[in-house]
Amino acid sequence: MLPKDTLERVINQALKSQADFAEVFVERTRKTTITLQSNAVEDAVEAAIKGVGIRVASGHNSVYGYTNDWDEQSLLDLATRLGQSFPGEPIREPVALPEQETGEKHQVSIPFDEVPTEKKVELAKRANQAARDYSEEISQVTIKYLDSLQEVQIASSEDIHVGEVRGRTRLAVHSVARNEQDMQSGFNGPGSGEGFEFYDRLDVEAEAKEASRIAHTMLYADEAPSASIPVVVDNGFGGVIFHEACGHSLEATTVAKGASVFSGRKGEQIGSELVTAIDDGTIDNAWGSANYDDEGRPQQRRVLIENGVLKTYMVDHLNGRRMDEASTGSARRESYRYAPTSRMSNTFIANGDSTFEEIIRDTDYGLYAKKMGGGSVNPSTGDFNFAVMEGYMIRDGKIGEPVKGATLVGTGKDALMRIDRVGNNLERAQGMCGSMSGSVPADVGQPTVRISEITVGGRKGND
Amino acid sequence: MDFNELFNKAKKLGFNDIQARVETLEEIRYETFKGTLDKHTIADTTHLSLKGILDGRMGKLSTEDLDFDNADAWLQSLKASAKAVESGDEAIIYGGDDSYSTFDPTAGADIDTIDALRKKDLALDLDARIADGDERIAISEAIYAEAKRSIRLVNSKGLDLARQTHNAVLVAEAVAREGDDSRTAFEYIQTNRFADFDSSWLARKAVEKSTSLLGSKSIPSGRYQVLLENKASANLLQAHVNMFNAEHVQKGLSKLAGKSGEPIAGENFTLVDDPFIEKSAKSATFDDEGVATSRRKLVDSGRLEGYLHDLKTARKAGVAPTGNGFGGSIRPTNLHIAPGSEDVSSLRRSLDRGLIITDLQGLHSGTSTVSADFSLQASGYYVENGEIVKPVSLITVSGNYLDWMGRIQRMGDDLTFNISFVGSPSILIEDVVVSGT
Repeated sequence: MLPKDTLERVINQALKSQADFAEVFVERTRKTTITLQSNAVEDAVEAAIKGVGIRVASGHNSVYGYTNDWDEQSLLDLATRLGQSFPGEPIREPVALPEQETGEKHQVSIPFDEVPTEKKVELAKRANQAARDYSEEISQVTIKYLDSLQEVQIASSEDIHVGEVRGRTRLAVHSVARNEQDMQSGFNGPGSGEGFEFYDRLDVEAEAKEASRIAHTMLYADEAPSASIPVVVDNGFGGVIFHEACGHSLEATTVAKGASVFSGRKGEQIGSELVTAIDDGTIDNAWGSANYDDEGRPQQRRVLIENGVLKTYMVDHLNGRRMDEASTGSARRESYRYAPTSRMSNTFIANGDSTFEEIIRDTDYGLYAKKMGGGSVNPSTGDFNFAVMEGYMIRDGKIGEPVKGATLVGTGKDALMRIDRVGNNLERAQGMCGSMSGSVPADVGQPTVRISEITVGGRKGND
Repeated sequence: MDFNELFNKAKKLGFNDIQARVETLEEIRYETFKGTLDKHTIADTTHLSLKGILDGRMGKLSTEDLDFDNADAWLQSLKASAKAVESGDEAIIYGGDDSYSTFDPTAGADIDTIDALRKKDLALDLDARIADGDERIAISEAIYAEAKRSIRLVNSKGLDLARQTHNAVLVAEAVAREGDDSRTAFEYIQTNRFADFDSSWLARKAVEKSTSLLGSKSIPSGRYQVLLENKASANLLQAHVNMFNAEHVQKGLSKLAGKSGEPIAGENFTLVDDPFIEKSAKSATFDDEGVATSRRKLVDSGRLEGYLHDLKTARKAGVAPTGNGFGGSIRPTNLHIAPGSEDVSSLRRSLDRGLIITDLQGLHSGTSTVSADFSLQASGYYVENGEIVKPVSLITVSGNYLDWMGRIQRMGDDLTFNISFVGSPSILIEDVVVSGT
């Protein structure tokens, strides 16, 4: 990584302008992707990412430059170019950086580069076999093994100089089930923010079977109805509903600009009293955890909503300036190619009192969304959608026949208010979250939750 | 060290053939927020991809650390990568085609010659025009983004090709607000000629779109006639591109497997992949494997003519490669549904009790290239007797894309490309399942 005096010189070069903030983000990442399909390894690709991003700001306005040229003179030239956006006499004294602080949480015990490729391939093969053994109607299985070791160093004129190594790995299983009439797919992709030791405790076979079970169930599912009805969203990846319906609209990225439906609503009741929602980037070795955010501040645990009342937004330093609020350590970015902005880390709805059985029993008619796919939101309107990967009808308090092809749509403020049951079985699951600063790993999570009414967009129609 | 030395080194290690692809990218971006320059980005990056055949198997590597001092480490990694491969598919590094199109994607491009200040001012001017367009505009934002991309492909079979694109996009974003109702618009112009950036026209579009959607509500569930606007239709097509990807076809992941030569769509449906479209950042005369690209009809008047191939899938299928080997997989260039001849306003007028859908959301999650089933969040306008009655949001439209390709009743003449250069005219479909209240 870069020596302290180089970082200092680059920051101070940028500050030879009217800029009041300068930051250097240094990254070196190694990634492995192994793809197994049609029972054979297709590809095993190593990728090396190496670059530097420099951000310079004056008040609310910022400039960002990035390069993979680590030569000090090139970085000084880039800093000069960026500083030229804020011409005039310097307003800050040159800074002296503290010694680098290195993050010690979320350690990687077994670094991926110490694991031979054959062992990674073996994992993929075990998953493939288990997924195929599930049923003769499983016609194709694609396994993607991914690992990445991201080494970062972040220094800024805010007296920040930190570094850490972030390990992440994921085993993604995509199964296709086929019969004479149809083809359907199922997905399951457990991951973690640690090293290869993750696989010591992962039940690879069970996780792989899960993808096949979903695909096979959907092969014999009826079309979902088209109607506005109660929906019971199961725990784990079901938390994507909060992530989309509400989480993105609590990020300073849109809140600071007054562009979010939840801008200026701190202290107000924005959801049902049953809802407490937390974004916690400090959970040990979780998929969305880190020692520091991507502006170099410690990651935090943030209670976003407590009993339905909006408590805090997720704030990064620069958007915080616009909001007149301190950073909550929420700045994240995919890589040095992106300027950071406020993002979710591991976001979940906290446990309530109901049991899963009670929630189903108390529902006369509705949809049980057992496994969710992804979704998206427009934070300015609050309109969101997410896909149900595996659904069942609920009739007279009992889970009935499987249904496929439903997308749920609604607005964040309605959906949060309409949560009328919260279960006691909180689980988290792993996803990739895409936004302005790229694609970052993020956990979603929740216990089983019931929404009293939401639009279900199935293909069956209402006739 | 240069590539020849690297290739020689590789051959000594037992590689049959080896290929390098170097991509350099220069980017400039200006983003405004409510009349001020909010963010400015400049970037300069280089990326090297290597692939090499060892014992008939293809090793792959990608790196941003372009120091040739790493050559030994690269080759070791490439070797490990090749050794892990088990697939029996033939690994091919291509010696090149006899000739390549003389089409130049940068012909007529002038954004290189335009001063940076004018680009910044263009974004600011657009922002001001959005803000001034209507008193209900609460937030105006504009983006000017430019990318100059150079690609060199060189391999041990003597191939050495280079190409370049230099394109820019101007984006208008508007948030219109009335009471606690907010509606947004995202409109853009993509080109490589500065004079095409008509900020007044673009601002007007964004203002009209966002304000006309104010007061949007859901409608009762039912079956409706739907006029799917060009960009929304292009986005829906893009979500289903892999149905035409030969790799998916060969792996049993596409319902189009075994349908070559058969009718799969209506006679009004022709699907074209055209690598030689002016002002497109996706235009290219060769793909990442060195295969010459060509203009092809994937579907001709409803009949499936073929799939998108790279070297490997073409060899396996016993057909000629199609020049669609991009980014380590198979991708189209400028894929689009051929336009019809009908004026869009006449399509609108023909709606008796129907919907104009201007936007589809959730395309990454509400679609499946395996089943072709989709259910997507939609917004637009409810129309009676050819006249817009009210704006509509929070509904879903659902169906099966294969089924839809056969059911397009009328096709507009307004072919437009989306932000990823997938194109479509506006299309009219009857009896669409819509979920609402």
